[in-house]
Amino acid sequence: MNGSNDTQILVLGWNFRGASGAVRERVAFSSDEVRDGLRRLTGRGLVSESVIVSTCHRSEIYGLGNGERAGDELASFVSEWRGLDRAVLEQAGFRRFGAEAVRHLFRVAAGLDSMALGESEVLGQVRQALSIARETGSSHGVLHRLFESAVRAGKRVRTETQIAVHPLSIASIAVELAEKVFGDLPQRTLLLLGAGETATLFARHALEAGLRDLKIANRTAGHAEDLAARVGARVVAWDAVGRDLPSADVVVGTTASPVPVVRRADVEAAMRQRRGQPMFFLDLAMPPDIDPEVRNIYNVFSYDLDGLEEVAAENRRRRSREIPGAEQILEEELERFLGWYGNLSVVPTVTELKRRLEEIRDGELDRLPPDERERLRPLADSIVARLLHEPLRRLKAEKDPAKRLDRVEAIRHLFDLDREE
Amino acid sequence: MHLFGWAAVLLYAAAEALAVRDLFRPRGLGGAPILVGAGLAAQFTDLTITARALGSVPYRTLGGSMALFGWMLGLAYLVLVLRHRERAVGPFLIPFILLFSILAVVFPSHAAPAGPATRGSVFAFHVTLAMLAYAAFALSFVLSLLYLIQNRQIRRGRTGILFARLPALDVIGRMNRTSVTIGLLVLSVSIVLGVAWARRVWTVPVDAKLAWALVTLLVYGILLWMDRRGWAGARVAVLSIVGFILVLFSYTFVNLYLSHSHVFR
Repeated sequence: MNGSNDTQILVLGWNFRGASGAVRERVAFSSDEVRDGLRRLTGRGLVSESVIVSTCHRSEIYGLGNGERAGDELASFVSEWRGLDRAVLEQAGFRRFGAEAVRHLFRVAAGLDSMALGESEVLGQVRQALSIARETGSSHGVLHRLFESAVRAGKRVRTETQIAVHPLSIASIAVELAEKVFGDLPQRTLLLLGAGETATLFARHALEAGLRDLKIANRTAGHAEDLAARVGARVVAWDAVGRDLPSADVVVGTTASPVPVVRRADVEAAMRQRRGQPMFFLDLAMPPDIDPEVRNIYNVFSYDLDGLEEVAAENRRRRSREIPGAEQILEEELERFLGWYGNLSVVPTVTELKRRLEEIRDGELDRLPPDERERLRPLADSIVARLLHEPLRRLKAEKDPAKRLDRVEAIRHLFDLDREE
Repeated sequence: MHLFGWAAVLLYAAAEALAVRDLFRPRGLGGAPILVGAGLAAQFTDLTITARALGSVPYRTLGGSMALFGWMLGLAYLVLVLRHRERAVGPFLIPFILLFSILAVVFPSHAAPAGPATRGSVFAFHVTLAMLAYAAFALSFVLSLLYLIQNRQIRRGRTGILFARLPALDVIGRMNRTSVTIGLLVLSVSIVLGVAWARRVWTVPVDAKLAWALVTLLVYGILLWMDRRGWAGARVAVLSIVGFILVLFSYTFVNLYLSHSHVFR
């Protein structure tokens, strides 16, 4: 797929599919470690360009190097760097070369390789990996273009298919539903019943969704105060929950109470005080904190864990149905990238450059009267040949594949050899 | 030849295309309202030309009244979108504006000269305002359908593309309220003008159409009252749909069979 001898794009990686948590932990790199690793990799000349993608579910080292040999060298490098047995690393990881490596990155960027199919965070992580590599000077023409293409492919998949439309987690489903009831969720008030782990997680999710007015009520006031202090919320006394209900737009139950904390009569009273303004209940507790009957009250929206699990399962199925469309887009982008990459080889570039100069020569000669044209042709030929000679010699003599690719790309750009783009 | 009428059709069609495209882009009002505004200007020019030729507001011809209605619909849409800074309803509302602007250029627009009962500015205002009120009620009808669809999606936890593209219930509800309020005020003024005019040309200023208009007024009045009394939401949406069916009834059945003196064709 490329004419620059054996230089090709390769990736060495570990993800949640093949690697155990223990291995993934050892090969998970912080941003500083990524910078350090990139400098060492390119410093030692193992690969001519490199980008490292490291997230909680995957660590992948992309490089431009000499096929299998570069793969082996990368594996040894990681084994030495992270102090892990090479055999263990090899067994837990995977290698891809050329078009397969490119396709892999595109799938990662599109979220097709993620645990939560189509999730969007990974696109930002791919983008960040590129920006760290640029900062350390370890990515040039090829990987730069590769990662930009991957980001574009990822964006296209998310805008042109519905893969990212359906929320997957219980909390994000709840937040989206509430947003579609109120419209201005950040301006609304959230009352959280309970102060345990679920309450903490939900409070953080609500803050991320932009909610600012959080209230927490818990049977043990101390726990409520702790959580309130951590997330910047107010505390509501446990026995005042009923009285406080009318001021809450969203109520989330997470307590271990054996009987419902919020009863139908409480909600009916609250709704009267709210003059029918909608209320949104989310019961994450088992047994329920919120009387299931409240869903029959006008303008009350009420969801429990089972219901939302069903929505999540349905949404997972809906996302999977988008995979073929997403793959179609990735193949288009892959073809586009490989087209560009293939053009980077020296031979076609030399041929095209020659043709371009000859076109110019012929164009100029054609403007002359026929007799003069024949007289001047040898001179024109020799000028073209002399002009081409030195650049082509240098281009062919360049040993460093990355530099050679850079130069080929410069020539293609300066002489406008990719006109159809 | 409706040069400006066709221009309006094209502009509305472009607005719809833009509105659909804008659904997939974040924030801002997008270009659709601007194109609808341009369409309104073109259609207004077309209406003015027709009016000059007829010597009156062009409500007596089928094409003319379609144009007038479509124009009012566009106007009401523009007011709603600008007032609530919400563009997600555009793709659902603009098709109606487009439909009426197409009917306007397709249907005939020539008519016999205006008789004495249908001349003068009071009468022109009466008819024009009635059209505007019905346009506002039509918008409310569409908004109510959207409300019920979105309400159903939310209750069933259907977080699909329609759910994602339709505005929040609160937003649709507020737009609906604005629309009905405009319709109610304008219809009241129109009725007052109509009665004042009728006292001059008829002996008894009461007929079936007037009665029906009063019933419509009552229904939408109850709707607004309910909206304030804690029944805002699906019930108000259903009532708005019922209200619009009454409007359609008065446009068709009452016009054709019950009212004789109140029809000008």
